[in-house]
Amino acid sequence: MNRAVLKAQIEEAIPSAFTVHKRQQQQCIPTGITQIDNAVQGIPLRALTEICGSNMASSGKTSLLISLLAQASRNHFCALVDASDSFDPCTGQAAGIHLPRLLWVRCGKSKVKLRPLEQAFKVADILLQSSGFGLIAVDLSSIPERFVRGIPISSWFRFSRVIEKQSAALVFIEQEPHATSCAGLVLRLTNEPATFSGNLLTKFNPKIEVVRAQGKKPVRSENLGFSLQTQWA
Amino acid sequence: MFACLYVPDFPVQAELLSESPETRKGLTQTPLAILDGPANLPRVVSINELARSAGIQIGMTKLQVEIYGGVLLRKRSIASEESAQSKLLDFADGFSPRVESTAAGTVIIDLAGTEKLFGSPKSTAHKIIASAVEIGLSLQIAIALNPDAALYAARGFQGITIIPAGHEARRLASLRIDVLPILPEMSEVLDGWGTHTFGSLAALPTVALTERLGQEGLYLQKLARGEVNRPLLTAEPIAEFIQSFEFDDPVETLESLFFVLNRLLQQLCSSLVARSLATNELRLTLELEVRRIEGGKEGEQYEHDWKLPVPTQDKQMLFGLVRLHLEKNTFSAPVRKVVLKVVPIRPRIAQGHLFAPPSPEPEKLEITLERIRGVVGSTDEDGRDCVGSPKLADTHKPDSFAVQHFSSIGESPNSSSAGAPVIALRVFRPPLETSVELDSEKPHLVWLWHRNRRVLAASGPWCNSGNWWSASRWAREEWDVALKTPAGIGYYRIYRDRILKQWFVEGVFD
Repeated sequence: MNRAVLKAQIEEAIPSAFTVHKRQQQQCIPTGITQIDNAVQGIPLRALTEICGSNMASSGKTSLLISLLAQASRNHFCALVDASDSFDPCTGQAAGIHLPRLLWVRCGKSKVKLRPLEQAFKVADILLQSSGFGLIAVDLSSIPERFVRGIPISSWFRFSRVIEKQSAALVFIEQEPHATSCAGLVLRLTNEPATFSGNLLTKFNPKIEVVRAQGKKPVRSENLGFSLQTQWA
Repeated sequence: MFACLYVPDFPVQAELLSESPETRKGLTQTPLAILDGPANLPRVVSINELARSAGIQIGMTKLQVEIYGGVLLRKRSIASEESAQSKLLDFADGFSPRVESTAAGTVIIDLAGTEKLFGSPKSTAHKIIASAVEIGLSLQIAIALNPDAALYAARGFQGITIIPAGHEARRLASLRIDVLPILPEMSEVLDGWGTHTFGSLAALPTVALTERLGQEGLYLQKLARGEVNRPLLTAEPIAEFIQSFEFDDPVETLESLFFVLNRLLQQLCSSLVARSLATNELRLTLELEVRRIEGGKEGEQYEHDWKLPVPTQDKQMLFGLVRLHLEKNTFSAPVRKVVLKVVPIRPRIAQGHLFAPPSPEPEKLEITLERIRGVVGSTDEDGRDCVGSPKLADTHKPDSFAVQHFSSIGESPNSSSAGAPVIALRVFRPPLETSVELDSEKPHLVWLWHRNRRVLAASGPWCNSGNWWSASRWAREEWDVALKTPAGIGYYRIYRDRILKQWFVEGVFD
């Protein structure tokens, strides 16, 4: 059978069978850290991002989140789902977060039967249903790893499908990446020894590894270094 | 011109209005009589057309009515009548801003300046009747040059009565004088003269009438001639809108409560819409059924207020707020009475900004916040909200903040506000109690994560204190320490509470 005839027959039965799906140009929210913004253009909208780092050692993941919130709150309304109530508003303001534009949800603080992890996921679900937020960040990094590992892959898949249709970025802060292929960007942070200037802690020297990025094909790891200063430095 | 809207058999119609549309439809096809008076001898005060056709008359006793059979008897409800009168006023407000609540079931509206909106008086009357049918009211309307002529024509004639200017006396002539506010002794005198209609009263010689009945007689004659011209006593704007419902039997299930709340909110929102108003404050009061305790309270009340960032007329949104709140609360007793109150304000007129960032819709946001509160709770142990925007407290005390209501309406941030990235502190709330071993007055070992961690570097001590004049005084000695952990080096902030004499880990630099 002629190829053209076959194609016509298929198109008659399935009109969009040969329509090329054009991927929209990736829009990003800058993180405010030049090295990361140069490497991956920032945190992608319409995608799930994972920022990972150790819970016990200082990795710089919270500093990255705070910097991202500071940049995002200039142009968007942001939501921070804080599973362990560890956000420090004082640091947030020092970093330049426009606090009135930040919805802070403190999980596990009242006498509710649900565990903080379940609360965080339910709240993230509610926030995704109500549009209008440019950045939804879910901080799970203080939740023990064994609990986060138990989240079924279907939950991550659902989040990634929902966020695809919204002009917002969904960011998870964890100890290890869990969303696998559902994540559009995975960043892993580790820290080199900090700098003490005399008697003062002044500088952090985190290393960041781009584990996965949608915009970069083929996927490859990339290591970047940057420095963060303390408020008093 | 003035239009008088008169509701015949007002107690009956008020009773019907208090029912749902389905029940109302059934009741209109049943003979209905409203009883009032002492409990041992209630009498009929109002009947519908079917009951009238069945031979029921005003003033009959309950026993006499029961002889007829098939007549539905209801006790007169003042609350229903007040609610119906309020509804009638709202309805009249839709046609003119100047409305007088003349009596129960009677309102007079000033039609001056409404010609371009509603057309001729006849067309206006037809539009009023048609709109009244939609809300379940059956009206008699009269339009005349002065309020009193319109009032008596509406009370005396069925359907629509239009009295052209100068024809008041002739048009009212056939009315019986019983509808006039006549004192009983004067009524006897007029009856003795054979004066039974407006026409005969109007025809009496003025001077002779005044000599015999005084100024009151003269006033009555002017009313009968349709010559009294008085200003309207317009109804005061209602400061607050209240709807209430008392259950016959206290309810225990939320479904029953939601059904009533939905109806009450519908009525409140309709009233707001009719007056081109909105609300940003809603108060729910639930009266709970509590067993009578000797010397104690008879009942208990549950109250909750909602303050909205933007005015709304959206019933669904308000109902959503109430429903989500009630679903996460439990009450100690069944609900006996429910009262809803809204504070009316002008609706928000706002022009959307072309270049403004997308923001959560203010109305939907309230529902979202309420849903989130349903998941994480409303407040923590310190009374701080679990959901909202953080706001720093005006103090040097570390980790002092408030959580205020989050709103998508507010000033835009200064574009240059985002500064250079800084090291963030992850706070442990509450701080972790710990023990610290010192070496040369510097931390050497810190107990953390179930074992002693060696301090690789320490920065401090940084002394801080405040509120020394009050009971909430605090004083601490802070150290920033680098601890060796299995995952690498962790930089922590530890402090010694100088009042409690205890070490704590405040957080980790991350």
